[in-house]
Order: sequence, then structure tokens, then C-alpha cells
Amino acid sequence: MVDDENKKKGKAAMPRKKIETMTHTSAKPEVSDLIGQRLRNYYNEVALQPVPDRFMDLLNQLEAASSPKKSN
Amino acid sequence: MTISQQFRDQIIAAIPGLRAFGLSLTARSDRADDLVQETLMKAWKHHDSFEAGTNMKAWLYTILRNEFYTQLRKRKREVEDADGYYSSKVAVHAEQEGHLDMADLRVALAKLPEDQREAIILVGASGFSYEEAADICTVAVGTIKSRVNRARARLADLLQISANEKFGPDANSEAILSNTYRN
Repeated sequence: MVDDENKKKGKAAMPRKKIETMTHTSAKPEVSDLIGQRLRNYYNEVALQPVPDRFMDLLNQLEAASSPKKSN
Repeated sequence: MTISQQFRDQIIAAIPGLRAFGLSLTARSDRADDLVQETLMKAWKHHDSFEAGTNMKAWLYTILRNEFYTQLRKRKREVEDADGYYSSKVAVHAEQEGHLDMADLRVALAKLPEDQREAIILVGASGFSYEEAADICTVAVGTIKSRVNRARARLADLLQISANEKFGPDANSEAILSNTYRN
């Protein structure tokens, strides 16, 4: 009875352990590639856009403010 | 105080990536650009704390990330909705977006815990090494590696990407190809 239960437990524990290892180890290389590609596409949607004027203006302002030669 | 042209050029070069990083943290382009603005102002103000010759890009990403968490903490105090916040915003934006692939990814990213999301973005999209990402997030390299691995596994699960989804010829054309070889 106890042995049977242990056997049952042993059998039941196996697949659960497998799932655990799957989520804790890295994804297969081809899966990582695919995810990496989609992440980069997502990222590059913004990262490949030109710098908006807003930020160039800000840098110009900062530069003007920090330059000691500006007329007051 | 004088700010070198090189410093300025490096900041400008980093802006597009900073915006993308900001967007992946906040899921809102207006908030992302506010973070970038804050980052530029801080970088300018504290330019002398940047050690010349070290990684300027990583320095700027660190500033942006710190700013993001500072704002997040403030918002958490204001409204106890910081967890639901990201997901709800993403859901709205994803719906508005025509690009299905991209929308799927945004929704999937939103389901990741913050620490895993930033790790996979820094390593998987921003082009930082594990070591650099660890520096930016001020954790051990091993921690970053495990966060990236967990993020990948979760994304694969959410996006239902399996190893069967291969590049190149599918099973049918592979069979044809090998037949051609045999004959």
C-alpha cells in the first residue's frame, strides 16, 4: 500500500518536475532567435526613428544655459 | 561648466534607444519621452559624474531606469494601481495598433514581472551584454541571466512559439529536397 503510493507519487512527480525544468532553463536556441527577432522589431520601431526636435531643442537650451558666454 | 561636443554627440546618439527602452518600461510613448527628457536633463546636470572612457550608453540607461522607478514609486503612493497600470495601458494601446505581431508582443511583455521585462529588453533588444545589464540593474550577472531565461520561456509560452516553428524549408519541402538528393 505504502509502496504503491510511493510509486504513484513517483510517477506523478516526474512530469511535474519536467515542466519545472522547462520553465527554468533557457528556451531552445531557435525559439530564442524567434523571440529575439520579435523583440528587436518591437524595439527598433522606435529606436530607428530620428531624434525628435523636442530633444534637440532641449539640448540646445541646456547648452545655452550652461554656456558662460551668453549675454544676460 | 563646459560640456564637450563629444558628450553631446554621444547623448544624441543614445536618444533613439533610450526612447525605445522607455517605451518598453512604461508602455506609453508620451511617458517614455518624458523619461528621456528627464534623463537628458539629469545627464547634463551630472555630466561630471560620468567617467570619460566608460560606457556612456549604459550610464544613460541607468539614469533613465532610476528615473522610471522613482516615478513608479511616487505613482504607487498616489494610486495603489501600479500593477494594473501597465497591463491596462498596454491593452488599450495594443487594440489601437494594427500590427498584430507587435500587439501580441506588447501584451506578452506586459504580463512579465518588471525585473524580467527590463532584463530581456536590455539583453535581447538594446544590445547590452549580460554584464552591462547587470550593472544597469545593479544585480549580479547570474541574476540577469536567470531573469532573461525566465522571460524568454514565458514569452515563448505566451506567444505560443515552439521549437516546431522553424526557419527555412518546412517538413514537406525538406522531404522533397531529400528525395531529390536520393534520386
